[in-house]
Amino acid sequence: MKLTKTAGVVAAAATLLLLAGCGTTQNQAGTGSSDDKLTIGVSFDLVNDIRSAELASIKDAAKKQGDTVEFVSADQDAQKQASQIQDLVQTKKVDALIVIAANNDQIASSIALANSAKVPFIAIDRAVSGGDVTFQVTGDPVADGKLAAKEALAVAGDNPTIIQLVGALTDQNAIGRRDGFTDGVKAAGKTVAAEVPTDWDPSKALDGTSNALQANPKVNTIFIPSDYLLPSVQSALQAAGKLKPVGDPGHITIVTIDGDPNGCKAIKDKTIDSDIVTPVDSFGEQAVAAAHTAHGGKSVSPAEAQVAGFALNQANASTTLSKTWGCNTK
Amino acid sequence: MTQTRRPANAVSRFVIEYPLIPIGVALIVLFSLLQPHFFSVTNLVNILTQSSVLLIAATGMTYVVLTAGIDLSVGAMMFLAAALVAALLTAGVPPVLAVILAPLLTIILGAFNGTLVAKAGVPAMLVTLATLQVFRGIGGHLTEQQSIVLPAEVRFLGTGDVLGIPRAVIVAAIVVAVGSYVLRRTRFGRHVQALGSNPNGAWNAGLPVSGLLIAVYSVAGLCAGIAATVQIGRLGAVQPTLDLGFELTVVTAVVLGGTSLNGGQGTVFGTAIGAIILTVVENGLVLSGASPYLFDIVRGAVLLAAIVGAGIPKQLAAFLTRRGGARAPVTS
Repeated sequence: MKLTKTAGVVAAAATLLLLAGCGTTQNQAGTGSSDDKLTIGVSFDLVNDIRSAELASIKDAAKKQGDTVEFVSADQDAQKQASQIQDLVQTKKVDALIVIAANNDQIASSIALANSAKVPFIAIDRAVSGGDVTFQVTGDPVADGKLAAKEALAVAGDNPTIIQLVGALTDQNAIGRRDGFTDGVKAAGKTVAAEVPTDWDPSKALDGTSNALQANPKVNTIFIPSDYLLPSVQSALQAAGKLKPVGDPGHITIVTIDGDPNGCKAIKDKTIDSDIVTPVDSFGEQAVAAAHTAHGGKSVSPAEAQVAGFALNQANASTTLSKTWGCNTK
Repeated sequence: MTQTRRPANAVSRFVIEYPLIPIGVALIVLFSLLQPHFFSVTNLVNILTQSSVLLIAATGMTYVVLTAGIDLSVGAMMFLAAALVAALLTAGVPPVLAVILAPLLTIILGAFNGTLVAKAGVPAMLVTLATLQVFRGIGGHLTEQQSIVLPAEVRFLGTGDVLGIPRAVIVAAIVVAVGSYVLRRTRFGRHVQALGSNPNGAWNAGLPVSGLLIAVYSVAGLCAGIAATVQIGRLGAVQPTLDLGFELTVVTAVVLGGTSLNGGQGTVFGTAIGAIILTVVENGLVLSGASPYLFDIVRGAVLLAAIVGAGIPKQLAAFLTRRGGARAPVTS
């Protein structure tokens, strides 16, 4: 009787171990989705229209492939993102990850986790490093900044007095756009009169612009590194009595980047001169395609893609508005 | 018992009671030397305008901190109020009504915080940390995390002026004046300070402790709502990151202004000085053309100097008291 009881316990334990082993195998390979239909884990914040557009592009591309998207919002918190990615990989057992890193340096541990679980790690919008990144597709912030400088100087004339807003100094896109714009201005033999740090905060952008206008009364050009801050700058100009439409003698040249709905409207309303459109709507398609390639066991080549923006300005608005993602959102 | 004497002249007493004022004057002098445009009527009005939202929110927070509490959901309440205005406008509510409803909502949110603190016995930091997430989440849901540009009709509190004084400044001045009067001259204000000074004593004296706690958090909520309407008036838009982390700035202004985190000590006027000094620093840094990488360093250094400098008069007063030369003022 005792021997039978012992044998029963051993058999039960062996069964449990066998089942756990099967589960582990499945963990490493993903959820066991059918070959063509993936479960894609997506992690980034939703703090602005660009993020919403990027998520929409991923969902559209996934839908075409019959894939499922598991989206988690990281709320710009690197620690939260790391935990969420861990859940996506180990609990939800996604077949691939598409991530916009909350912090370019702290994402390395998540990349390592994905690597060890053999889950393709795909980065979009912000370049990441540290680990085996399956594929990354980003804008080209430096090129966008230089194009913005070119657009600004083309309108501003020979003696521009330039105010340059700067995004969060921890954001590579913000740094790239700033550097590109500054280089573009310097290459033309001009200088920036004032730099306004904003931390991507609308209130800081409003107050900083007001202060910069105060210190530089002859300003005739403003560079805004994201359409997200455009309403703040327009409010500051309005409060100073300097918000004039394009064509008005008192108009201040405004160049911005992103091509979001605010920027689109501002071009149509002729309150800004140029908006460098970042084609974020293509990121989703490329990312999902890379996920399928990698899931099929092939390497993605090239592993990096940079998509430079294009200028939407008053001269080409009639033909370019339709190509701008912010003009096509619902 | 040691006999003490009050400082001989009113100026000395004023400096000891509000030590930040000479610090503020020193900053103004410094930035004026660095940038000629700093010390101008236009820029000083600019500073007051830029301080307005912080002044209003910090006035409400002063009441909370005086009870040894804290409200970390202030920024989230402001965002939710702004999101509500946007949602009401979309639903066809008249703009003026939408703006009025925002502070009414935040009073309810503040009362909710206060009720949890008073009745559930949960520390205020934990309660408001949780409601911060809830409020911000609701606001994000209302706005669908989109940037929403607001029509001119809702911007009346943040734009325009009356006899040359920006409306935002007028609103802030009224809130600060009323907040200060209520705290210093009414029974409610005295009860708030008594509660913070000695909670057990307040209880034993029969003060309505729960009611007071609910009331102070409601005041904080009301001020957050008013601050939000001024802010969206100035910004002209509601954006997903609006007021993210703003609660820390509000608490900084309150503490910088001399309100003790242990409760029972502080003034709305001191908070106002703290708020204005924070704005002077931001304004001065941009005007002086400082590198953005230096902003955090300089901001922190100036705040540290302000805090240390603010402590010196009190240390001096205490020293003189021990030597029988002066009596430390009673702050209320």
